[in-house]
Amino acid sequence: MSSTITQALLNGIASGAIYGLIALGLSLQFGVMKIINFAHGSFLMIAMYLALWGCRHLGLHPLAVIPLVMAALYVVGHVTQRWLIEPIYRKEATREPIGVLIFTTGLWIFLDNLFLVLAGPDFQSPPGDWPNEVVMVGDLIFTYPQVAGFIVASAVTLLLVTFLRGTRIGRMIRATGQDREAASVLGIDSAAVYQVSFALGLAVLGVAGSLLLTIVPVDPFIGDSYGIRAFVVVVLGGIGSVGGAFWGGILVGIIESMGAQFMPVTYSEAMIFAIFLGVLYFRPAGLFGLEEA
Amino acid sequence: MRQDRLIGCAAAAVLAVLPLVFDNPYTLSVVILTLLYAYLALSWNIIGGIAGQLSLGHAAYFGIGGYTSTYLFLTYGLSPWLGMLAGAVLASAAAALIGLPCFRLRGAYFALATLAAAVILRVIVENSHELLGGPRGMEVRLLHDAPWYFQHTRKEFYYAVVVALVAVALFANYAVLRSRFGYYLTAIRNDEEAALALGVNARRCKLQAAVLSAALTAVGGTFYAQYVLFISPDKVFGGHLSVQIAVICIIGGRGTLWGPALGALLLLPAEEVARFVTGGAPGAAMMLYGLLLMVVIRFEPRGLIALARRATGCRAAPRAGVEVA
Repeated sequence: MSSTITQALLNGIASGAIYGLIALGLSLQFGVMKIINFAHGSFLMIAMYLALWGCRHLGLHPLAVIPLVMAALYVVGHVTQRWLIEPIYRKEATREPIGVLIFTTGLWIFLDNLFLVLAGPDFQSPPGDWPNEVVMVGDLIFTYPQVAGFIVASAVTLLLVTFLRGTRIGRMIRATGQDREAASVLGIDSAAVYQVSFALGLAVLGVAGSLLLTIVPVDPFIGDSYGIRAFVVVVLGGIGSVGGAFWGGILVGIIESMGAQFMPVTYSEAMIFAIFLGVLYFRPAGLFGLEEA
Repeated sequence: MRQDRLIGCAAAAVLAVLPLVFDNPYTLSVVILTLLYAYLALSWNIIGGIAGQLSLGHAAYFGIGGYTSTYLFLTYGLSPWLGMLAGAVLASAAAALIGLPCFRLRGAYFALATLAAAVILRVIVENSHELLGGPRGMEVRLLHDAPWYFQHTRKEFYYAVVVALVAVALFANYAVLRSRFGYYLTAIRNDEEAALALGVNARRCKLQAAVLSAALTAVGGTFYAQYVLFISPDKVFGGHLSVQIAVICIIGGRGTLWGPALGALLLLPAEEVARFVTGGAPGAAMMLYGLLLMVVIRFEPRGLIALARRATGCRAAPRAGVEVA
């Protein structure tokens, strides 16, 4: 394997770990509540702007803002689920099968354009030289953000999986995802579980957004393409499978960076969408297992 | 049914005198655009409203319509009236291609697949520099007063055409809502499992609805190309257009006969006002769309038409697609 191909492969794995992290929250929300949150990309965009704000106005290192953004997104998630989605979700079971889908579409359009008005259309990056520094390993070059992104994303994924398997709350979340009725018979308050899992999903997204900001600049519509990527990842990894999302993310990252070697750059925007349609045609149930939150 | 005819007659009367009242070109152009969006929302209604399959990529069909007729006109001199039919056929094929894999699945898959298809088409067109003019788009060659080539210097010509289009779309919705096919679609929307259990071929019905909806939308694309005489990928294939079409229909009242038209009647002028008030700030109009969508789904998911019915005190006629049990 020539070194350009190796480099592309490793670059793909590095960004893929972040894609997986972006998709984790989406997969968790679907696995537990069976809802599709179309505003996921917009929450990612908000996380990136928050991280940018932390770097610029608090003078923090791009990695030091992670806990802050995570906490902020947890709160945003809690509020969104409690006050916006839950009232619609309650009606959903009896009346509106696509109510939440349409509602989050509205939220997505609203948030993207709100930030267009607030922050303007420019692409913005955090200040400082840290994102441009590199590590050399033989012929291969990696930027600091690539290395940090891979390590943090893998660690957070592992933590979340351990949390869902090992803790009491984690088991309550999984039980609700598997069978809501049975779980409530056992005394689990499903509304509370939904709030925790939605907020948890967004907290993870906060980490992902902070990491992503060190690799790509933020603009009001960044969530569109990365949100779609998250859906591709979730579909590839098997909807609702948290571990699957990680491997799905790596796979999408590799396909993208390898594809970029053989394709004019003007087509790259369409590639992720083409992969999505391809998966729908040939493997709608996902590549890595299915339906286990 | 009597009620529908009454509203239809009243609307026809208003539309007949409208150009006499609004004789300044700006107002007339707002009226024409409003009617075009009413037509598009009505087209969307067949798959998105009556059948309940959320499509977020109708710009794909709109773009196919505009580009097909314009390409055939510029290259072969074919009248856009005929190109319009070719565009409708192509858009139907595209809808079938997108629908085939998705309709085995539920919910978000179709929404995402339609969105993805629209983006892919836009990128392909943006990269077809020689054939379709790339990102700069194509201009329709000026012939001035040539009604046989779908062109005229007077706006009243386009007004008459778009009124006819709205009438056709209303009739298509009316026919679907009253037919066995319409009842199947409503059954699928309300409970697909139950519909399947009763022997409805859900996949085929959804596919037929998608094809019909796409063909109508493509005709709207040709109209747009001839009216503006210029098309570009970001205008006719853009994500905003897809969202707008869907939102207008949902806010007005999806699955109903008059809801989509009502949505356009309220939203297009509102958008125009919002643009005026904010001085054309980018994003303001779309913010309005997003906000209204959330408010409507939260408080009256059946749309503004349900509010209007309650306000005027007339009950919905028992008809497929109005009441969701």
